[in-house]
Amino acid sequence: MQSNQYSVKVFETTIRDEAEFKEFFNANHTLFRDHLILIQGDMSDEIKRYLKIKKLQYLQNVNLPKGRSRKALEKEFQILETELAVTKQIAEAELKKLSNKVQNNLTVLDGMIRSGRELNIDGDLLLLNRVNSGATINTTGNLIITQVVEGAIRCHGNFMMLTASPKANIVFNGVEVDNSQLKDRLNRVELKNNEIIITPVLKKDINWAL
Amino acid sequence: MGIVIAVISGKGGVGKTTATANLGLGIALNGKKCVVVDFDIGQRNLDMILGLENRVVFDMVQVMDGDANIKQALIKSKVSPNLYFLAASQTKDKSVLKSELVEKLISDLKKDFDFVLLDSPAGIESGFEHTIEFADAAIIVVNPEVSSIRDADRAIGILDSKSAKVKNGEEVLKWLVINRIVADMVESGEMLRSNDILEILDIKLIGKIPEDKGVIDASNQGKPVVLDKKSIAGQAYARIAGRLCGQKIDMKNVEISDAGLFKKIAGMFR
Repeated sequence: MQSNQYSVKVFETTIRDEAEFKEFFNANHTLFRDHLILIQGDMSDEIKRYLKIKKLQYLQNVNLPKGRSRKALEKEFQILETELAVTKQIAEAELKKLSNKVQNNLTVLDGMIRSGRELNIDGDLLLLNRVNSGATINTTGNLIITQVVEGAIRCHGNFMMLTASPKANIVFNGVEVDNSQLKDRLNRVELKNNEIIITPVLKKDINWAL
Repeated sequence: MGIVIAVISGKGGVGKTTATANLGLGIALNGKKCVVVDFDIGQRNLDMILGLENRVVFDMVQVMDGDANIKQALIKSKVSPNLYFLAASQTKDKSVLKSELVEKLISDLKKDFDFVLLDSPAGIESGFEHTIEFADAAIIVVNPEVSSIRDADRAIGILDSKSAKVKNGEEVLKWLVINRIVADMVESGEMLRSNDILEILDIKLIGKIPEDKGVIDASNQGKPVVLDKKSIAGQAYARIAGRLCGQKIDMKNVEISDAGLFKKIAGMFR
């Protein structure tokens, strides 16, 4: 079976006043050359003849499958667009999280951070020395400090690992962390579902079994 | 060519000037030529502690301005022929110091003396920066208390970034002197232990000086305590001076009090 498929524009109307109808088509008939005129209700022979003269195709009292209006189409398109944007955002956030978690522009330092120094690190920081009282460290990424921290820490990453003295001031993603939970040899601080979770990685005292 | 040592602390009142006077005299008593220079322009004290108050005619600022010859301004100590003193100006303030002039003065002194000790002003202002700028080494004086340690930490940080030697890629030697240790308080845990201080500051220890009431009287009289052979602080200063002159002197643990030892022995029989 051979077939063709095409869309046609349909102009649907009902004739109430023949004169008005004619007047409208006199003015606009060229516009409707490619349209299918659909007349719902009665139509006189006079009108049929008139449409023939104007070379307009017509049908009477037929139920054509309704297409969607331009407005509905636009609305649907908009919804699709926002959905796409949202998924894109989620994907980006997930990707950022993942890349943050693994490694993000890592800086490695092995110098004592003395009082009065302010380090601003873009990305992750691995510090192999002490942070003395009166020093400040800001990181946009994750943070690992292997020696004791007595200064101020502002970490905006996904996790940090450190050990803090009671003098230290530790702020993780805008939340001040209780120092008493950071006194073990090394503590892991991370953000999970908007909750700060602190787990000791290395306990201060190792009690060996005799 | 001598060595230039800045005596710094960050915090005031920890005993910089006393340490400068005593170490200067201690070095002189070891037979080395030593000059102590008061860099605390506007607030000079070193002349009083050395007992040379009435001898000051020309000061360091006049030498730098060319108003006086360096030979005229150097004051010879009454106690040791090896010790000379260069006074700070009492009428000017820190702003009169200029890097080029300080450098020239120090290099002139270096030619004639084995040791040039610079007594730094407290704080970390321009006067402090000029003191450390051309120093080969620094003696950092701290008291066993947190505020002194933090200020010293900051001063070391500036020393490590602003000294001319560091800018040339060399290292400034840093020695720690812990002053005014009270053995009883260290034992009872009220005072920081020297190991804790060393861990925080991470520099080499050159000596510990116990608290000694005689120091104040010695300063008031203008006779540095290092001259008093019976004084425990004087002995400690003498040991540090000896170490600076290259002698091998064992570190004496001044953090154990005699009373503590008695108590421990008494405790054994309880």
